Amino acid sequence: MPMKNLPEAQRRAIVRTAVTLAAIACALFVYTLWRGMK
Amino acid sequence: MATAHHDEHPAGLMRWLTSTNHKDIGTLYLVFALIMLFVGGAMALVIRAELFQPGLQIVQPHFFNQMTTMHALVMIFGAVMPAFTGFANWQIPLMIGAPDMALPRLNNWSFWLLPFAFTLLLCTLFIPSGGPAGGWTLYPPLSVQGGMGTDFTILAIHMMGISSVLGAINVIATILNMRAPGMTLLKMPLFVWTWLITAFLLLAVMPVLAGAVTMLLTDRHFGTHFFDAAGGGDPVMFQHVFWFFGHPEVYILILPAFGIISQVIPTFARKPLFGYESMVYATASIAFLSFIVWAHHMFTVGMPLAGELFFMYSTMMIAVPTGVKIFNWLATMWKGSMTFETPMLFAIGFVMLFTIGGFSGLMLGIAPADFQYQDTYFVVAHFHYVLVSGAVFAIIAGVYFWLPKWTGHMYSETLGKWHFWLSVIGFNLTFFPQHFLGLAGMPRRIPDYALQFTEFNQWSSVGAFLFGFSQLLFVAVVIQTVRGGKKAEAKVWEGAEGLEWTVPSPAPYHTFATPPRIK
Repeated sequence: MPMKNLPEAQRRAIVRTAVTLAAIACALFVYTLWRGMK
Repeated sequence: MATAHHDEHPAGLMRWLTSTNHKDIGTLYLVFALIMLFVGGAMALVIRAELFQPGLQIVQPHFFNQMTTMHALVMIFGAVMPAFTGFANWQIPLMIGAPDMALPRLNNWSFWLLPFAFTLLLCTLFIPSGGPAGGWTLYPPLSVQGGMGTDFTILAIHMMGISSVLGAINVIATILNMRAPGMTLLKMPLFVWTWLITAFLLLAVMPVLAGAVTMLLTDRHFGTHFFDAAGGGDPVMFQHVFWFFGHPEVYILILPAFGIISQVIPTFARKPLFGYESMVYATASIAFLSFIVWAHHMFTVGMPLAGELFFMYSTMMIAVPTGVKIFNWLATMWKGSMTFETPMLFAIGFVMLFTIGGFSGLMLGIAPADFQYQDTYFVVAHFHYVLVSGAVFAIIAGVYFWLPKWTGHMYSETLGKWHFWLSVIGFNLTFFPQHFLGLAGMPRRIPDYALQFTEFNQWSSVGAFLFGFSQLLFVAVVIQTVRGGKKAEAKVWEGAEGLEWTVPSPAPYHTFATPPRIK
């Protein structure tokens, strides 16, 4: 399992990127619905 | 050491169900896409069989409409997008020197959502009200009035959307965080660049599609009137929201194809890609412009003149970065030591035929002309030149290009060349006459037509069957190569450059456990 060798800083960076992108996707979904309701 | 821990992997069904390995998941995506190519292809042949003659011969009009709708949904979301995700899974970690995708478990989930989504979509053909029949664009009021199949489709689209967004997050997280030391952004292979930009497009527009179909669902079942004019809603708003997703979607389907072609042409021209940086900027420009052209799909709904002009000019601007790309591919080939192995043949076929699709797109982008072309077979011809001789040819080129690296065996060059020529002839026979049908006024999505359209339709149907059945040759070549054949070297092609060619063929199960250092 080569992924287990990743440095902690790199793991944190990956999680930070993923969470940020997921939040953007959720926000866009909500924004679309909100614009539809205006 | 580039190939540590190789060949340690679980066996049997559990290997595929629980795999977190990028190569296994890449293979799953590619096999799934191939199956869907044939499911969608069978639907296309039902359409072409019905259209061989005027009058109703084989299927009822409602079923015909289901076929046109499902063919598009299956090919776009089931064949082309998963095929490119398969390439991304296999190639991105190998190309950037990473041990795997950044989020391997999420990667497994992204894939396994798809078989369930497509089971849900395809089973609508067997329920009493049938599948969705109002076109893949799901325009209201038809989609609001449709039967239960539309609800299944909406749920299936949600699942596909979640799969795509998770896949996009994984690609971005991998490229931004897992590159080997020394691999700066502008040293990345162009395939990686095109996928990075595609992933941002996916992330930006799949939630918009999810929003649109959610509003459709609440209009159908929860008493809202987003798109119902009688309740104060606006059906045209759906078209705006849908195409805000739909146009970038077109580029989601073609940018990774540009990436594959940008890997194949320099290899067989034995020259570095001409204008690497301009290719990156052109890709980014196309992606940016894709967000401001959506209403060219709806010139005829009635827009203010300023709107028509804005969307017309912004659409025509896309020809500039696309022209840069075509120029760069041609300049790469110019005075190169070219050889014409199967991947190169498909790549050259791509450049020539995609350009035809690009030019017909330019014609459609001219608002006053579009009033004539709207909803005719000219549009069908245009987008098949872009998506079949564009996206699908690039996928096939990519498979032939990397298959020796994936399987460790060389494919049969003779069969590959037969596959290419049958595909090119079948494809052009199918879709070139559709330009004339459209210009003569034949509408799209009709099971019957006026007598004067018969001859071109017959050519088109004969071509479709030739093109469809010649893809069986592709499957035969792939199976033959997986099972055996001449051993492939690590650097399969003389002119190949990049990290993936530094690992043995077949690529070991685990690669780059220790990242390589890029000079």
